[in-house]
Amino acid sequence: MDHSAPLLEARNISKSFGGIRVLEAVTFDLRRGEVHALVGENGAGKSTLMNIVSGVVPPDSGEMLCENRPIRLQGPRDAQALGISFVHQELALVPQLSVAENVFLGRHPVSHGFVNFREMHARTRQVLGELGREIDPRRPVAELSLAERQLVEIARAVAFESRLIIMDEPTAPLSDHDAEALFRSIRLLRARGVGLIYISHRLKEIFEISDRVTVLRDGRHVLTQPTSEVTHEELVRAMIGAELNDRLRSGAAGSAQSEEALRIQGSISLTVHRGEIVGLAGLAGAGRTRLLEWLFGAGEAHRRTTGEDARPTREVLVNGRRARLRTPVDAVRNGLALVPDDRKTKGLVLGASVLQNIGLAGGRTRFFVRRSHEEQAAQQWIGALRIKVAGLSQPVVYLSGGTQQKVVLAKWLFAGARVFLLDEPTRGIDVGAKAEIYDMIRTLAGGGAAVLMASSELEELMGVADRIVVMHRGRIAGEVSRAEATEERIMHLATGGAD
Amino acid sequence: MSGAARPAPAAKSRHALSPAGLLRRFGPLLGLLILCGALGGASDRFLTADNLLNVCRQSAVNALVSLGQLTVIITGGIDLSVGSILGLCCVMVALLMHAGVPPLISVAAALAIGSALGAINGILLTKLHLPHPFIPTLGMMNVARGLALVISGGFPISELPLGFRFWGAGTIGWIPAPVILVALFCGAFYVFLSRTTIGRDLYAVGGNQQAARLSGVPVDARLVLVYALSGLTAAAGAIVLAGRMNSGFPLAGVGGELDSIAAVVIGGASFLGGVGTVSGTLVGALIMGVLRNGLNLLNVSAAWQTVVIGIVIVAAVWVDIVRQRAAERGSAG
Repeated sequence: MDHSAPLLEARNISKSFGGIRVLEAVTFDLRRGEVHALVGENGAGKSTLMNIVSGVVPPDSGEMLCENRPIRLQGPRDAQALGISFVHQELALVPQLSVAENVFLGRHPVSHGFVNFREMHARTRQVLGELGREIDPRRPVAELSLAERQLVEIARAVAFESRLIIMDEPTAPLSDHDAEALFRSIRLLRARGVGLIYISHRLKEIFEISDRVTVLRDGRHVLTQPTSEVTHEELVRAMIGAELNDRLRSGAAGSAQSEEALRIQGSISLTVHRGEIVGLAGLAGAGRTRLLEWLFGAGEAHRRTTGEDARPTREVLVNGRRARLRTPVDAVRNGLALVPDDRKTKGLVLGASVLQNIGLAGGRTRFFVRRSHEEQAAQQWIGALRIKVAGLSQPVVYLSGGTQQKVVLAKWLFAGARVFLLDEPTRGIDVGAKAEIYDMIRTLAGGGAAVLMASSELEELMGVADRIVVMHRGRIAGEVSRAEATEERIMHLATGGAD
Repeated sequence: MSGAARPAPAAKSRHALSPAGLLRRFGPLLGLLILCGALGGASDRFLTADNLLNVCRQSAVNALVSLGQLTVIITGGIDLSVGSILGLCCVMVALLMHAGVPPLISVAAALAIGSALGAINGILLTKLHLPHPFIPTLGMMNVARGLALVISGGFPISELPLGFRFWGAGTIGWIPAPVILVALFCGAFYVFLSRTTIGRDLYAVGGNQQAARLSGVPVDARLVLVYALSGLTAAAGAIVLAGRMNSGFPLAGVGGELDSIAAVVIGGASFLGGVGTVSGTLVGALIMGVLRNGLNLLNVSAAWQTVVIGIVIVAAVWVDIVRQRAAERGSAG
């Protein structure tokens, strides 16, 4: 066996989905005993590349070599057989089963036709020991902390004698302390000759843990260098492109008035004035959706499902008055509107008609439905927002993404909302409809509404918002005005760089 | 997904004049008419005024209980406790009257007890965050039946006041009193579900609970309300049944939850929530009643009747799904 040969080499990998190029002749390699970081903005092609490496999707062209031998992966099983493991962001564990059963899921050691629990427990303990951690193999996974569960997932990869482990944003759900422990385990694995591909948005970690770093942008390979030879700024520039684009800057924003429509004070401080559009930037998991849903009184359900008990210590003022927003009912009563990140599951009743969806948030102060009044109002908004529907009774499920989003906006306009919380308002919407949505947002603000808009697309925020507030790990990392906003500056704040 | 994609018919009946829309609205009614025709052909005693009134009288209890069950199923839930609540209220109303409480007050008390037990179902569901309405209502099903047996000592409480018995056994002109009661309830539930903002909320809660919550619908309050309504109609059913049988008996309404669910589902409501009508449910209850009555006239044993009803329930839902798929292909193409 040639020890100097790369564990894995991907040469000129290209891949298209439905005519859209997501990877263009990308080259990537991993040596044994190294941590190779893979960075890039959302949509840069990281996940696709990793899905190809782990056999989930085949490449359109290009070749892959494992220790100089060409390989062809027909599916995840082939990759597993070669010792390639993928530790996913959403951990794939069975909570009811024990640690050991999860580690050996599907490959229990068997003797005489029965599962050999003694051997399974002993080997699990040994593997966890190699990762520098002690967890009782008999404990059910449901009892473990997130960090421990992640370790079980890694232990599974080690128990399968994986030589190549891919980790996708492993520290996203972890505290700093747990992240440190994870890094210790990663270093132990590296010392044993395992190669790790480490995907993260947190550049700080990449400098801490990785040996080399590769940047992808728009499906192309931008750079691969030893981490010690690049700076934070160089990485950011490589991720977003050298020339800073000041497109989309023509908008009619700037109608902000001095009156405060929304103020949050406490662990997060933020103000939105009437007529103002405030952008909310941050990487995936920075807490933008959490903040908006908490503002809207919808945080309770989230806390219940995650078992988190830390109530945010902050108060909210709407139009200068303290508001108790404990449920969405309170929020609607205070004139707030939430356009959620996922309109299909959170914004619309898909099976119901256009009319029913537009009427969903309003008119609840009355006992009887005023049908003709509602039909008239709905027709008005359909005209004003240029919503392309066959009729009020058409079910919204068959409408296009852009049209559905307009129905969600019409719902809140009908309810008379004055403070709009928009979460990824153009996600999954085609370009033409996006421009229409931007116009609507500007029109809203022009009419004196306050808009707080979260988006992962920096260009969009820079084009629409008067100010951009940047979040990092649940906190506000800084704020940039429209005039001084550059992608570089926002990314710097969003990746934890100091202001 | 296929269920979520179904249009909720309540607020759009005026627009649904396409052949598919007509079939959707009148499918269960068509089924009922065909069934009546077939039974009329098989037995000359079936299509007589007396017998048809008798069918209506026999269907009244299930029709009442099904109305409450309908509101629960529209929200995507299920109420397994209605049969037992009916039994407990049946015993309670009889006991109260035997204790000298005036019939009117006894009836009011029974309705209050039914509503309160239903509300407890809703509160357990929303406040304890039990995973599915199956759980609290299954618990209530056992608790209420047990209490009915404990309170009555297991024996029927017979000989009830004449005025009380009117709502189960009396007539107004030639129309049975329970039929009039059902008509009043149907009217009230129709207005409630299709003309009030609260009724409209129920379809939204069943169609997409999360979207409803994030649009400011007080979801928990709506859920408590529908289970209370379900308890209320179960109690109303108890009063009709006790009046008709001249007895409050602790095993009243055994299996009633399943009959009501069957009526609602045969009537075109979706088990996934968001879809269901009063008219469909009424027709569903009548189909169940007509089947039992007709098979009796044809001397089919009770055991075989049960088999037939089981087949009809599955067939009705299957036909609905086939029709719905055809409609979806129609609107997709």
